[in-house]
Amino acid sequence: MNAFDLHARYPGFVLAASATWHESCVALFGASGSGKSTIVEAIAGLRADVRGTVSLGGQRLDGLPSRRRGIGWVPQDAALFPHRSVLDNLRFAARPGDADLLARVVDALELSPLLARRPAQLSGGERQRVALGRALAARPRALLLDEPLAALDRPLRARLVPFLQRIRTTFDVPMLIVSHDPLEVMALARHVIVLEAGRVVAEGDPREVLAAHEALGSLRGLAAENVFDVSVVGEVHDGIVLVTTPHGVRLAVVHAKGFGLPRRVAITAEDIVLSTTAPSDISAQNVLAGVVQGTRASGAQVVVNVSVDGELFVVRVTAKAAQRLGLVKGRAAHLIVKAHAVLAVE
Amino acid sequence: MDAAEICVIVLRTLQVGCVATAAILVPGIALGWLLARERFAGRMLLQTIVCLPMVLPPVAVGLLLLVTLSRGSALGGLIERVFGAPIVLTWWAAAIAAAVMSLPLVVLGAQQGFLAVPRRLEQVAATLGASPLRVFFCVSLPLAARSIAYGTLFAFARSLGEFGATTLVAGNIPGQTETLALAIYARIEQFEDQEALLLSAVSIVLALLITGAAELCLRRHRR
Repeated sequence: MNAFDLHARYPGFVLAASATWHESCVALFGASGSGKSTIVEAIAGLRADVRGTVSLGGQRLDGLPSRRRGIGWVPQDAALFPHRSVLDNLRFAARPGDADLLARVVDALELSPLLARRPAQLSGGERQRVALGRALAARPRALLLDEPLAALDRPLRARLVPFLQRIRTTFDVPMLIVSHDPLEVMALARHVIVLEAGRVVAEGDPREVLAAHEALGSLRGLAAENVFDVSVVGEVHDGIVLVTTPHGVRLAVVHAKGFGLPRRVAITAEDIVLSTTAPSDISAQNVLAGVVQGTRASGAQVVVNVSVDGELFVVRVTAKAAQRLGLVKGRAAHLIVKAHAVLAVE
Repeated sequence: MDAAEICVIVLRTLQVGCVATAAILVPGIALGWLLARERFAGRMLLQTIVCLPMVLPPVAVGLLLLVTLSRGSALGGLIERVFGAPIVLTWWAAAIAAAVMSLPLVVLGAQQGFLAVPRRLEQVAATLGASPLRVFFCVSLPLAARSIAYGTLFAFARSLGEFGATTLVAGNIPGQTETLALAIYARIEQFEDQEALLLSAVSIVLALLITGAAELCLRRHRR
């Protein structure tokens, strides 16, 4: 069993959060300032000003110094040691005689080409992979990932998500992921703890909790995300695999070699381009013909529901574009989605 | 004044500078870390005491040292009992004076260096299981090394040119405690302007050589 019950008082902010979970991968979800990072740092033993209890794997950790907690903490900025090469960063964490583990980490996170480089010579995604590897090399009892993808743009995030999924399966390390991105939460976590203003306001299965929370209006736009359970059809070809939704809509999804085949895909409403005429000679691999089911205003944007062979897609366009395209119920619409924009979830 | 005499003065100056700098390096780094990283009662007082030699007139510091190290004092008496001779008016006294006057430069360099090390790196190192000593030697110290090196360089340069405090505790005994600064002053007092100018030129060359070599080393390290 894993649990925390943490309390702290700061000017203008009170933390009073407690949660219990049994799942191996849990997400702390909430807006900026909701207390996510404070909780993670308290679990890692880095916040002396936070009182309360922390248990991971049934063992009480509060009262232990951070170096004895066995927590693999990966902060948002990766915090690699700038004066050490990637290999030396990994070696810093590894125990003597852990060469096998180090080799497995390097292999799983595909770090071989980076080993001789300094952190300043790495891209954002590479830095995060090295930070993950360094945390794993210390044989942690749990990984705490503080917004691991926040500093990356969406294509890079999509590339890093499979690595996180691989870590979960290859190393069998429980993970606690801090995120304010519902897609990340759904892609990675099996249990979500929703925080608001320092309090836990909901927890449970990510899809149910996040959808229910959206109904309360506190997570605007979350229901607009497109998440489908899928089955793989055909073989991987040129790094692309075809999947089909329960209603038979086929989607091309990027598939990295060595990773598991997708069982669920997610597409953000903003990543879908909408056209009222059938596009031709287009580079995007997914062009889906559908019919507009309805629209509703959402701030400066318009949320458009489009049915494709009975599968409902949610698209966001600007109000100006919606007006120009004349998007009304019954209007034919073509959805254009790059394979890279489809986030494959294990 | 012949070359051998200049050599003796230069070597004595370097000896005093090296010993003084070596003596303050470890305590200077420790004090810099303490002031940068720890919050404790009396921290402000310690910071003020560390900086005092930079603010006080050097002769005042020399006078305090003289009182502290003279034969009549407890410390001076202890030193004399242990080493069989008084320390005042020896080159060791010159090194002590130079060390005291230069200490603030090492402390402040180290303090600034440690303050510039992101706490997050030290915290990550701790979560990876590193002991506080390992965090210090493998993370904090290497990242603060440049500031410490510059602080040490300035401290060394300061100790080479120390005059006010040194003249009180070490006197100016040719061949024994005579450093470049003391020798120049003595020549001026004796109206030997040419020799004073020659020793000044030697000082300039020495300073250029030392700072140039240090800068080269630091640049190489930077790469």
